[in-house]
Amino acid sequence: MSELALKELLYKMADDQLILGHRNSEWTGMGPLLEEDIAFSSMAQDKIGQSLALYTILHQLGERDPDTVAFTRNASQFHNCQLVELPNAEYDFSLIRHFLYDTAEAIRFEALTRSSYEPLAQLAAKIRGELRYHTLHANTWIKQLGSATPESIERLQKSLAYALPFAVGIFEESPYEKEIIASGIFEGEQKIKEKWLAQIQKILAQTSMYLPDIKIIQPIVGGRMGKHSEHLQPLLDEMSEVFNIDPTAEW
Amino acid sequence: MNSLDPRVNRLPEIVETESHKVPLDQFGTFEVFVEPKEGKPFQHEGCVHAPNLEMAYVLAKEAFTRRFTCTSLYVVDTQDVYVSPMTEGDKNAYDSIPEVADDAGDKTSFEIYHLIKRGKQHVHAGSVSAANDLHAMAIAKTTLNTGKTVYNIWAIRNDKIRFTTPEEKDLWITLPEKKFRDASEYKGGVKLKNFLEKTN
Repeated sequence: MSELALKELLYKMADDQLILGHRNSEWTGMGPLLEEDIAFSSMAQDKIGQSLALYTILHQLGERDPDTVAFTRNASQFHNCQLVELPNAEYDFSLIRHFLYDTAEAIRFEALTRSSYEPLAQLAAKIRGELRYHTLHANTWIKQLGSATPESIERLQKSLAYALPFAVGIFEESPYEKEIIASGIFEGEQKIKEKWLAQIQKILAQTSMYLPDIKIIQPIVGGRMGKHSEHLQPLLDEMSEVFNIDPTAEW
Repeated sequence: MNSLDPRVNRLPEIVETESHKVPLDQFGTFEVFVEPKEGKPFQHEGCVHAPNLEMAYVLAKEAFTRRFTCTSLYVVDTQDVYVSPMTEGDKNAYDSIPEVADDAGDKTSFEIYHLIKRGKQHVHAGSVSAANDLHAMAIAKTTLNTGKTVYNIWAIRNDKIRFTTPEEKDLWITLPEKKFRDASEYKGGVKLKNFLEKTN
C-alpha cells in the first residue's frame, strides 16, 4: 500500500475536522441557549482536538508539524468536503450540518476501529465517547425541533434540502479508493455512505421531516481534490491571522 | 413597544379584558446529578433549562461535566423532586417525617438525598422501595437516618430519572486529557510576569 493513499485519507479527515471545528466555534457566545452555547462550543473544541490527533499521525509519517499544516496552506491545498466550509447562517443550518456530518463521521471512525493501520484504529477507539455524545446531541435536537412547531420543521426541512447535495459530497471517492480498501485500512466511501443514509433516515423517520430522494440529488464534490467554494479562503485567513503575525506566539 | 432598552420591552402590556395569567416563554428546569468517581455517591450539581428530559440530559452533559472528570450523570425534572421541610441548628429534618405513611399501591424505587451541610449540595444517601414520595421518606427515616443532623431530604422516583446508559459510560473517557479547559492550566500569572520582565 502506498503511503500516498494513507496520507490522502488522513488529510481529508483532518481537514474536515479542523474546518468544521472552526465554523462551529463561531457560535461561541451566540448560541440560542446558554446550555447549547456551551455544548456546541465543547464539540467544536473536540473536533479541533481530533484534527490535531490526525495531523500528528501525518507528522509522524513525515509531513510538517500540525500548526504549519493547519495554518500555512491555501484553500486549494485543503482536502475537506465543501459541506464543512459553508458559512453558518441560521442555527437551523448549523444543526442540520452537525447532524449530517457527525453521523457520517461517527460511522467512519466506527469502521476505522477495525483498520489495519494501528494508529488510526487506536485513535478511533479513543474518541468513540466524544463521537457518541456528538451524535446523541445532534439526534436529540433534530428529533426535538423536527417535530416541534410548523416553523421549526419548515426551517430544518429547508436547511436539509440545501445541505444534502453538499453532504453527499462527504463521500467523494479518493483516487486511491481500491487500494485503501484492499489494504484493510478503510472500508471505503461507498459502504460508509450506505450506512449513513440508513442512519439519517432512521432519525428523520422519528420527526415530521422527510428525506428528499437521494437518487436525484447531484452531489457537490471537488473538495477532496482542493476545489472549494469562495467561503474557505476567508475562513483560513481568519483562522491563521495570529499565526501569520507571529508564528511563535502562544495563546 | 419597541425599544433598544430591554427593561422597556419587559413592561407588561396593557390589556383591556380579564384573562388567565400567561406562562413565561421559557423552558422548565431539570436537576443535574453527577457521580464524580466510580462507586462515589451521586451529588446534586445544579440545574439546566430544557424543553424535556432527554434534551436536559444532553445539555447537562456539557454544562456540568466538561471540566471535571466523572463517571456518570443523571437528570430529573425539578417538579419530580419531593422535598422535606428545611431545618437549621441541630434539628434533624427526619423529625418532621412520619414513621408510618400511606403505602397503598405498587412499590417502586426511590433515590434519597441528604443535605448534610447548609450551603453545600445534596448528596445521595441510598435507595428505598416505596409506594409514594412520603412513604419513601418514611422508610428512609428508619433505614438511612443515622441520627446525624440532616437539614433537608429529597426523594426522587427512580423511573422519572434519565440515567446514563451502560454504553454511554464512554462519554467521558477523553476528559482527563482536556486540561486546556482548566483556567489554571494557562498559568496566566507566569505569562504576565515573563511579559513584564521582558518589557521592563
